[in-house]
Amino acid sequence: MTTNEVGSVSAPVSLTVNGTTVERDVAVRTSLADFLREDLRLTGTHLGCEHGVCGACTVLLDGAAVRSCLMLAVQADGTAITTIEGLAAPDGTLSPLQQSFMDHHGFQCAFCAPGFILTAQTLIDRGVPLSREDLRAEISGNLCRCTGYASILESIEAAITEALGPLADSNGAAK
Amino acid sequence: MRASLVGKLVGSSVTRKEDRRLLIGKGSYVADVVVDGMVHAAFLRSPHPHAEIVRIDAVKARRAPGVVAVYTGEEMKAKTNPFVNFAMLAGLYSPVFWPLATGRVRMVGDPVALVIASSRAEAEDALEYIEVEYRLLRSVGTIAKALSPGSEQLWPKNGGNVVYEHTDTFGDVDAVFASAEHVFTERFSSHRQSNQPMETRGCVAEVNPTELVFHSATQSAHSLRWILAIGTSRAGAVDTLKALKANRARLKSFGKGAKEFLTANQDELSKNDNAGMIHQVRRDPSTLRHMSRLFANTLAMDARHLPRVVAGDIGGAFGVKGHPSREDVAVCAAAIDLGRSVKWIEDRVEHLTVGGTARDETITMAMAVDDDGHVLGMRADLVVDQGAYPAIPFGAPLFTRIMKVMMPGTYRPEAFELRTRVVATNKAHYVAYRGPWANETWARERMLDIVARRLGMSSTEIRLRNMYGHDELPVKMITGPTLDIEMSAKATLERAIELADVGAFRNAQTRARESGKLLGIGFATFHEAAPGPPDYADALLPGGGMISSEPIRTVLEADGTVSVFTQQVPHGQSHETTFAQVAADELGVPFDQVTVVFGDTNRTPFGLMGTGGSRGGPMAGGGSMFAARDLRKLIVDQAAGLLEAAVEDVEITDGTIHVAGVPARGISFADVAGSVRREGKAELASSVSYDGGRGGWVQATHVCFVEIDADTGMVSIPRYVVVEDCGDLINPAVVDGQIRGGVAQGVGAVLYEKVAYDADANFQSSTFIDYLIPTAVEIPAVEIHHLQTPSDKPANFRGVGEGGMVGAPAAITNAIEDALAHLGVTVTEQYLPPTRILELMGVIARSAE
Repeated sequence: MTTNEVGSVSAPVSLTVNGTTVERDVAVRTSLADFLREDLRLTGTHLGCEHGVCGACTVLLDGAAVRSCLMLAVQADGTAITTIEGLAAPDGTLSPLQQSFMDHHGFQCAFCAPGFILTAQTLIDRGVPLSREDLRAEISGNLCRCTGYASILESIEAAITEALGPLADSNGAAK
Repeated sequence: MRASLVGKLVGSSVTRKEDRRLLIGKGSYVADVVVDGMVHAAFLRSPHPHAEIVRIDAVKARRAPGVVAVYTGEEMKAKTNPFVNFAMLAGLYSPVFWPLATGRVRMVGDPVALVIASSRAEAEDALEYIEVEYRLLRSVGTIAKALSPGSEQLWPKNGGNVVYEHTDTFGDVDAVFASAEHVFTERFSSHRQSNQPMETRGCVAEVNPTELVFHSATQSAHSLRWILAIGTSRAGAVDTLKALKANRARLKSFGKGAKEFLTANQDELSKNDNAGMIHQVRRDPSTLRHMSRLFANTLAMDARHLPRVVAGDIGGAFGVKGHPSREDVAVCAAAIDLGRSVKWIEDRVEHLTVGGTARDETITMAMAVDDDGHVLGMRADLVVDQGAYPAIPFGAPLFTRIMKVMMPGTYRPEAFELRTRVVATNKAHYVAYRGPWANETWARERMLDIVARRLGMSSTEIRLRNMYGHDELPVKMITGPTLDIEMSAKATLERAIELADVGAFRNAQTRARESGKLLGIGFATFHEAAPGPPDYADALLPGGGMISSEPIRTVLEADGTVSVFTQQVPHGQSHETTFAQVAADELGVPFDQVTVVFGDTNRTPFGLMGTGGSRGGPMAGGGSMFAARDLRKLIVDQAAGLLEAAVEDVEITDGTIHVAGVPARGISFADVAGSVRREGKAELASSVSYDGGRGGWVQATHVCFVEIDADTGMVSIPRYVVVEDCGDLINPAVVDGQIRGGVAQGVGAVLYEKVAYDADANFQSSTFIDYLIPTAVEIPAVEIHHLQTPSDKPANFRGVGEGGMVGAPAAITNAIEDALAHLGVTVTEQYLPPTRILELMGVIARSAE
């Protein structure tokens, strides 16, 4: 089979995206990221490297943070996806995490923002207390080139503190 | 949070206007742009560092599914004008080159052909059907190779691979060095680094019935517009003459514009000579032919093809997107040729390969000092590797001029000499990267530590002894510019020494060594021309002040809001917020009532500088202040009539315009705008061209503390302190974010990031698994302390975009040497990954380079 034959093969997918059921025929070689961005026009999901390193394309798949550049759209068949567009309330009210990023000047260019916000959302959803050192490790799969991370860490810490209580220091003591 | 408050926005960390869209995924980055009928571009790129193109066969590719067109280098050449350098420096050879490689490839990733297809995937598929036969040439992979007389020449017309050579001498250098008690010399080398914003480069050339809109992630919309116009306006001589004849109005208006420009800049222009152009034309007479043609072509071009450049949200740049790219011109030319909209979004492999690289430089520095550690003379020999092609519209040669001015720092040598050479190699081209001159600071601050150690002085004492203090100001740097009375580099150093508590650290360091732990401390002090004093531009280049003014236009809109139009193109700097803070304070209106308009060449004032050079805050922030102040006068004048009051009795409170003492009977900005319209007057608007006023310096001292794991060579940074003085802070959170981001890139540069090539210039770091961007685990917390030297400057803003990365490599490498000094280690390289640390310590044998 030549590349072009592969490119022309499509398959049906059915999934939930930000609470809405989506049914489409999609070329099997289409990545989940391209499917979200191009087929569904949900361009909040960004492509930074397409190697699975930078984390900009992170989305939630059945609640877990995944790299949408490393998955095919057909692999997401039957799942529930949340993208950055799915976090704020329908009236535009920011989620507590998004609000915290605004309050703390979390981002600069914000190209990496969707990935950081969705990765951090899983930390809140998980509900397990963590230390500041844990937090650094948890977000070390997302790259930011602008901020030096301090403002991102502050934003997430404030939101986690609000939801779960204060973060422990690395020695385990609460701050 | 503070959005509804009025009057004290400047100085407050107001939350960002930008975040309202960016945090919910509703930003509009160039990859998000979709237009009707759009097709997609992909470039075939050279796998070889240096080769002749013997044959290209694109027949199969043209027949591949979805393919709309294929352009080879020669085909694209016939439709475009080449890149020609307009900023000729004496002693510079700047090759004439084309959007796609013609005849020869000179770097891995050199664009060889362009495929346009109905999807990006199909365009990429078709690349594989293009057959290219190469005849390999010997390559030039290092500065040493480029300097060696027998090396293969990249640009044979130049005669050798040194494309720029110049020596600047200040004072009697020979005499100072001959009589000095000590002369110390070291050769420093820094490695190739890359900006690597999270968003790559990209564009959409939108062809619609009325205009050509070029959507782009660009730092400078207006300069991109004219470089696209020049590049894509290629036409035959007969057609050009016909068009010029048919369009006398344009010629006339151009003639008028040119006359105005020449009159306005008479003084600056008279400082220029033609030595640069004469040098260039002697080497390549075709330069003149190309220049005349592209000039005539651009004048004659179809107005529908003069691009309107539109920049939306931009995912970072750090300098790389200030350079219009060869790919931009190729995509734009293809769109015009096909009459169809074309999209090109670079992928990360391309961006790592040919997006742009920087700082591959060697500096041999000598310092002449007396027994007391007074630095009497400095002499440096700088070689910059600009890679295969010169940057557009200017690059390494121009940045060496900044290095020349800044290298003595705020110290007071009696004599200084810099020999500069720029060489061509078969590596990716050089671009500006955040503080592109920064290695002058790195070499000088590194050298001061080395000299201090050899004289048995402390690293702080040698700096204090040699640095201009407040009581010596104002004074001229030996290279020309004035250090005004607000220059406070020494104050930042003194504060940093206090904060660092060096005495306590030395005790801890000694105790740690006894238990096998390696601790170090490093200081670095620098100043930066952001924007610089009025005599700075002349010190850079004769006539350098020509294009440096910042245009700002303010308008009272019909609905009573105020728009601030800027040629700046923010890409993370929060200009929508900071310029609005400044303007709202001047006008006395709520923050939400001001909108900053940027990125669209049809709407924004003309300016070629774009966003860069740490100019946003000082130049456009200052410009916003004065343009808003002028607009306020116009509003008050109009309101005085409506209120039947004298102008001097009119006040503005919380966005309400009223007679002093009776705020209850006020009118709104919308009332004023409405009255202007009803009276048939022109809208109220003000345009300023802000020259920076008295300008001034931003200055800082960085202190880095390191701990080195003696077993693994891993360096960690338990504490990092920045003491800086940038004048008034418009938005402290924005300022701190810029400084932290710059320091983070400096940490990356020293410990993690390297654009890797083998000795033959074969590229070896094409993913983020090879080119290591530091993560939240590696970047230390940065303590920032602001000094604010009292000032009576009306707009006392200095730029902070670049300084973090100017100071960090020096402070970090100084700290590393300090940690290893007892082992007899001298650090002369900027790249210090764990393996290199272990080599320096003698734990492992040094690998061959």
